[in-house]
Amino acid sequence: MKAVKGKPFFAGIHVHDMKELACASPAEEFPEPAKVCISLSQSLGRPAEPCVAVGDKVKEGQAVGKAAGPISSDVFASVAGTVTDISPKTFDDGKAETYVTIESDGSHEKAYMEPLTDPSPDEIRARMKDAGVVGMGGAGFPTAVKIAPKTPVDTLIINGAECEPYLTCDDRLMKEHPGEIFEGAKFLAKALGVTNIVIGIEANKPECIEKFEQIDGVSVVRLKKRYPMGGEKQLIYVTTKRKVGVGKLPADSGVVVQNVATCFAAYEAITMGKPLYERILTVTGKAVKNPRNLRVRVGTPIKDIIEYCGGEAEYLQKLVIGGPMTGLAVAGTDVYTRKTTGGILLMTEREACAEKPTPCLSCGKCADVCPMHLMPMNTAFYSEAGDYEAAAKLGGTLACIECGACEYICPARRPLIQDIRKTKAEMRNIQARKEGAK
Amino acid sequence: MDNTILISTPPHVKTPRTTKKIMLDVIIALIPCIIAAVLFFSWDAFFVIITSVLGAVEAEFIYYFIFKGGFKKKCQNAKKVCLDWLDEFDFSSIVTGLILALILPSHTPWYATLIGVVFSIIIVKMVFGGTGKNIVNPAATGRVFMLISFSVITSGWAATTIGTIGESSLATGATNLSGMLSNGVESISMIDLFLGTGVTGCIGETCKVAIILGYIYLCARKVIKWWQPLLFIATAWLFTLFLNGCDAEIATEYTLSGGLIFGAVFMATDYCTSPKNMYGQLVYYFCLGLLTAVLRQATHVEVVSFVIMLCNILTPLIDRYIMRKPFGYIKPVKDKTKKKTGKEV
Repeated sequence: MKAVKGKPFFAGIHVHDMKELACASPAEEFPEPAKVCISLSQSLGRPAEPCVAVGDKVKEGQAVGKAAGPISSDVFASVAGTVTDISPKTFDDGKAETYVTIESDGSHEKAYMEPLTDPSPDEIRARMKDAGVVGMGGAGFPTAVKIAPKTPVDTLIINGAECEPYLTCDDRLMKEHPGEIFEGAKFLAKALGVTNIVIGIEANKPECIEKFEQIDGVSVVRLKKRYPMGGEKQLIYVTTKRKVGVGKLPADSGVVVQNVATCFAAYEAITMGKPLYERILTVTGKAVKNPRNLRVRVGTPIKDIIEYCGGEAEYLQKLVIGGPMTGLAVAGTDVYTRKTTGGILLMTEREACAEKPTPCLSCGKCADVCPMHLMPMNTAFYSEAGDYEAAAKLGGTLACIECGACEYICPARRPLIQDIRKTKAEMRNIQARKEGAK
Repeated sequence: MDNTILISTPPHVKTPRTTKKIMLDVIIALIPCIIAAVLFFSWDAFFVIITSVLGAVEAEFIYYFIFKGGFKKKCQNAKKVCLDWLDEFDFSSIVTGLILALILPSHTPWYATLIGVVFSIIIVKMVFGGTGKNIVNPAATGRVFMLISFSVITSGWAATTIGTIGESSLATGATNLSGMLSNGVESISMIDLFLGTGVTGCIGETCKVAIILGYIYLCARKVIKWWQPLLFIATAWLFTLFLNGCDAEIATEYTLSGGLIFGAVFMATDYCTSPKNMYGQLVYYFCLGLLTAVLRQATHVEVVSFVIMLCNILTPLIDRYIMRKPFGYIKPVKDKTKKKTGKEV
């Protein structure tokens, strides 16, 4: 089907996307690491509970952690070998989590589930849960929960926007496996009981748009290249012209959005019985010699990946896990990949742009670019003064999606996202205190 | 290696357009006006501009040196303080100095210029907290201050005389705008008004072509939004039209005269004294146009600086009451419960 143009959307920013660094390299298999460290908190919600013991032999794809709540997800061994350690640790990303360490024995023994042929919606949902599939765009919301909405849904949107600069993993996946993504999406659509599948792809990936135009049964929407076009609410608006209310779920507007990588994982889980223990990620940035896309097992040390791609340590100024707009800057290379890690970004001093903040000019550019139509400058102003309630009320902070567009555009280099996060955290405290008082 | 890695909240890429570069863009946009000023008013105008800019920068530096963080301490290592200041300096005082000079008559004595610009920088800007914290436009306020303090000096005007660079032009008189407003005498053709030839007026306000060049540059660099000055000018034109019985010629002449276009492009669009969101800005520029037209008609003097000051004071009010609704804001009945919880929060 011919691609149609997305609905106009006037907020957001133009970022030089730097995708040319890595978009030409096909996703290649990263060699199996000798040791993996798998975090048990790989999705929203509570961390999984370990279901293996130290000294156990595990196979590739065997569960090592079981979901501990309704929006938690299972975690799987990504190599075959022996569990050597299960303990809480803190690595360079600063999160204190329980990690399962597995030393590989090089046997590649696999423990997949039975492939399903023509599964029923309930079977699909059960498989998504058993295979630990989560939203791979970054938030890590379990797919099994997402495809069981409480309100009726009529459209499934596949998110192929990949509006984050630098990252090309979704781009590669769409180029290499369009059919598989579509099959996966069809399974998810079946579980939702919808027939209308829409894929939104940004105009800077013409090859992907062409590939999906050739597939019957999916309508392709060509999106303007603009950040954050792949934000859930923005994507729903530009593809279907529906607005998702503040504090509501997309399903309330009759839409469910799934990332392309999630669709691919769903396809693998159903047709091959393969649990989610590896994913494609992009290693890029100016401080790496060979930017490329890799298929990496969950729990692989990032140090190994950087070495493999030829990281240039002397130029490295900032190491970011994820994309440059929303990713997490880490303090060192002693970090391990997760299900949601879409990219590893090695930035040089020039790219990292670490300038001192100067006084706010009140230019209003942050409000102009805000895709949620908020007033970030008010949040910053009041939260710096310590009045978090006013910050949340006048800035509309609680509806913020933390896309980072405001801070990108700020000519005074104000730390807006920091203020917004602080306000959100303080508001949670205030709310908790109020509830406690009641 | 690990020691040198930076940590921060996202985003990790940022726009190259910093405050400094925006201010530099404004200065570049003012260059055509400066050239036109020197062409029309000879070196007198250039002298006023230089005095004003140097005065502005000096005033900012002296204020910084004396009042920010203890005078004695700073005297001890003056060199470091100077370097720090250079690091912090964002060209905004140059912009203020330039704009103030361009809305003065060319024969303004140096002491008057200096007093005006020091007032602009210190009283209007620095005392309120420096860049981005002032509540009224420093240049407009400085101009108003000078109009009140040196009313005799600053009320005579030199006519633009092209081709006489080097000699000071002697022809002085009321601006054609004040002439028009008080006597209803039309003495000048529209083309002259547009090009600024043979017009009496302030240094930078006479040549509309130069201002339009600056406007195009500012729009192209996205320093200002293209519709902002246009809305101001169009509203002013429209209301002048109504007040003068639908005489399009008079309305156009009034619009082209005086400081309206210069004020609309360079002064009203000042970031920190205009509303922060688009709806507020619409109201702000509409108010500016309306007040300019009405007050010009009522008082028979040039009022653009006053009007800009007045609307600057309105800005916090506009910001307070004209808020944007978040994307996906739910209006109807459902919203009531939502609002209540919002208040409890």
